[in-house]
This record gives sequence, structure tokens and C-alpha cells, in this order.
Amino acid sequence: MEEEQALLSDEEKDILQEIMNIAFGQAAADLAEIINVFVVLNVPYIKVLKAVDLPAFLRSEISGREPISMVEQHFWGEFKGSAFLIFPSGSGKELVSIMGDGGGGAEFESFIFDVMEKETLMEVGNILIGACVGKVAELLGDRVTYSPPRVAIENYSIESIPADIFDLESSAIVLRTVFTFNERDVTGFLFLVTRYESIAWLKEALVTFMEKYE
Amino acid sequence: MSELLTQIFDTVNIGVVTLDLDLRVQYWNRWMELHSGIRAAKIIGSPLFDFYPNLNNVRFAKNCKAVLSFGNFSFFSQKLHRYLFPFKPDGSFGCNFDFMQQSCTMGPLRDQANAITSLFLIVQDVTELAASEQRLIELNTKDALTGIYNRRYLEAHLKDECERHLRYSRKMSLVMFDIDYFKKVNDTYGHQCGDLVLKTIATRISQLVRTTDYLVRYGGEEFCCILPETSAEDAVNLAERFRCQISELVMGYKEDKVRVTISLGISELRDEDTPDHLLKRADDALYRAKNAGRDRVVFG
Repeated sequence: MEEEQALLSDEEKDILQEIMNIAFGQAAADLAEIINVFVVLNVPYIKVLKAVDLPAFLRSEISGREPISMVEQHFWGEFKGSAFLIFPSGSGKELVSIMGDGGGGAEFESFIFDVMEKETLMEVGNILIGACVGKVAELLGDRVTYSPPRVAIENYSIESIPADIFDLESSAIVLRTVFTFNERDVTGFLFLVTRYESIAWLKEALVTFMEKYE
Repeated sequence: MSELLTQIFDTVNIGVVTLDLDLRVQYWNRWMELHSGIRAAKIIGSPLFDFYPNLNNVRFAKNCKAVLSFGNFSFFSQKLHRYLFPFKPDGSFGCNFDFMQQSCTMGPLRDQANAITSLFLIVQDVTELAASEQRLIELNTKDALTGIYNRRYLEAHLKDECERHLRYSRKMSLVMFDIDYFKKVNDTYGHQCGDLVLKTIATRISQLVRTTDYLVRYGGEEFCCILPETSAEDAVNLAERFRCQISELVMGYKEDKVRVTISLGISELRDEDTPDHLLKRADDALYRAKNAGRDRVVFG
């Protein structure tokens, strides 16, 4: 992973880490205050990788055989790329019961339940990705728009994710987060894959951000 | 809005609406006028909820707040929401939907200082897509002859049902049944009559099960019924009703009166069961019902 150095310097990474911490804190506060979703977002560390190394990284972080689901959402601004949220499979079911409006639940016909599960993954993905990316963009003085979320991978083993699912020319900022949704633990990974030109913009934005404090 | 953009927004085949911070309508494009029957001049300036009280719910309000407060985007998928605006479906012949199916997007609009001043709503008509998806699902999950679920459906869902019931320690049972001497019906009256018998039995039994049960055509003349939240005792009682109803059924085919009986095997979900175990025990019970003289219910 020596290329890491080439993408962002240690100092830039520190600033980014700081921004992510602020962004996640604010995002969590907003979610709780405004839509009553209580989520604890931890950002223990961030990592900047080349997209090509991402599948290997994910394999090393997520225990082998456990199937996962992945929500993907694209965002466009100066900061542009795709956000991916990985959940262990089965989280969808958990999330349906957390997010649900109490309309049905166990009585759902199982076909409908599958659809609900998928839609809930997307809804949760949209909320988390929107809140996090939106905050980061806001702190860096950018304005982004989003594509609808999509469940890119459903119940798939991490082992079998092909390397080329991510744009190989891109870089990835990986944030490992643990979401505690309304007091129930749902662990997941959020990572942002950005095009090279966004990294260039990011470097500048990070400098600008720091200048405000100096 | 510039004259040029207004022309474009009035031409596009999607609904465009903007709302101010108090959710009053600011803009209502031609598409919205066309499908709602409400002129822009009439609705602009009014709270959206005055015209669409159905939207005045917690979920929609949350989404508006998320957009207006922290600039999030919200997506209202057709699968989850069906529609936001209750519009008549376009060209509604042969369509199963009472209302136009919609996929909607909501997002923030900002001023030069980047402050959110209003929100936009984009409405896309996805009725045709939803209808063809529904048709595909039907083709994939239903048996063409009888209209009840097919084996593919059973295989896809039995595992989930078993897991769900085991997880919450709920009872669940399964009935496997088969038409006695079905080959004789085919040989005596022909396959068309056999088809009629299959169809009639499927229809009759589906009237006896709850909406949460699944009736499946498992094979040729073999049926299977998944009974969620049902103990073996209740399943046996229900199976007994199946048996009685079918034995009393007289089916007219041309000049003939055709009567058949069914044999039934029951199994109840146990801890550590896989779908295969559950099916196997019901099948074994059915086999015993056959050996014991048919036209009876056996619990296995």
C-alpha cells in the first residue's frame, strides 16, 4: 500500500479524518433531531486506497464467508464519486423492524418482505450516505446531488466480489463505521470511491478548510 | 425561472413541483396540471397538504425535514410507496393499478449563499414498468394451469419461512396432499378432464386457506400448503376440512360427474429443521395415508 503516500499526505489524511469526525457527529445529531433516527457513527480510522486494492482490503476486514449486501449511490459535485455501504446480510431484516412504521412486520408475505428488506437497505443507505457525504461536502464548501440508491450486491460472499466492480482508475476513502441504529447494533462499512480529479480537488479543499483555523 | 427553462419544464414528460419552507406550492409544471387536473394558478401559494391530505403523514414529513434541514435527497420508490400523488393511470386499459405508479425524488434547492430555500419534487410515471414487473413475477411464481403458486416459489420461500418461525419460536406446519387415483381420471375422461379436476381442487382449497398461507402446486397432482403460525393440531383440522370438501365435490365434465378424494400428510416445524426435513416428513405422512387406504389425513 505504498501508493497511499502518493494520494494524500499524512497531514491531509489527518485533516480528512478530522472532517469526517465532525461530519459524522453532525450527521448523527441531525438524524436524531430531525427524523428520530438514533445512530451512533464511529469513525475509528480512515484509509485511502487505490480502488484496485479495495476488494482485497474488504476481504481482510470482513470475515470470510459471511454474505454481505451492498448499497451503492453516486454523488456529483466537485467532490464526485460513489458511496458504498456494506451490511452483513440479514441486517436488512433487522433494519426493517427498526425502521418500520409498525405496519405488518411478521405478517408480511415473504415476497413482500424481501422487497421491504431491499427497499429498507436502500432507504437506510440513502439516509446515511446522504448525511455523511452531504456533511463532508458542506464542510468543504461543495454542493452535491445524488443518484437514487441501488442495492448493488445482495447476499453475496465477499470472497466472490470481482475486483472490477469498482472503477480501477479511482481512489477510495474507506471509513469503517459501526452504526447503532435505535440502540441496536448494525455494523457496516461506508466507503467513498472517488475519481482522481476529485482527489486533486479534495487536496485543495482540505487546505482551504485548514486555513480557516489558522 | 427563465422563459426558456419554463418551456422545457412544461414539455418534459415528468412532474416537477417546488415547495417553499412551509411546504406551499411554488411551482407546478404542465405535467402536474395534466395529471392532477389542478391548474398551476389554483395551487400555487397553497399548502400542498390542502390538496393532497394523503401526503400529510409522518414519513413524508420526515423526508421533507431531511431535505430542508440538512439538504439530503429523498427517493420514494414505487416498490415501497406505490405513488405520492393519487393520479389516474395513463391509458388505463388492462392495467391492474387504481393509481398511477410513481417513482419520486425530492431534494433541496439553494440560493447563492448555499442556504436551502425550497425543495423540488420530481414525479415519474412508472406504471408500465410496474405492470410488466408484476406480470413477470406472476409468470415466475404462479402455476399456469391452476393459478396458485408453483414449486419455484415454494423453494424460494420455504427456507425464509422456516428460519423466521424458528427465530421467533413460532409454530408452523405444512400439508402435502395428492389426488387419489388421478391417473384413472386421466385415463377414463382424458387429460382435459384431469386439468379441470386440478383447477377445481386448487380453487376450492384456496378458498379454505388464509391469505397468509401459501398453496402450491408441487408436482403433477401433488399440492403443498405452507401454514405459517399454525400448530400441527390446527393443521390437521384444516386438512380434514380440505379432505371433506373435496370428497363432497362433484365436478361436471361433459355428460359425466367426476368425484375424487385426496390423501394428506402433515408435518410441523421442529428445532433444527431444514425445509427438506419438513417436506420429507409431510411426504412420508402422505405416503402412509395412501397405504392406509387413501382419503385420509396422517400426521408425521
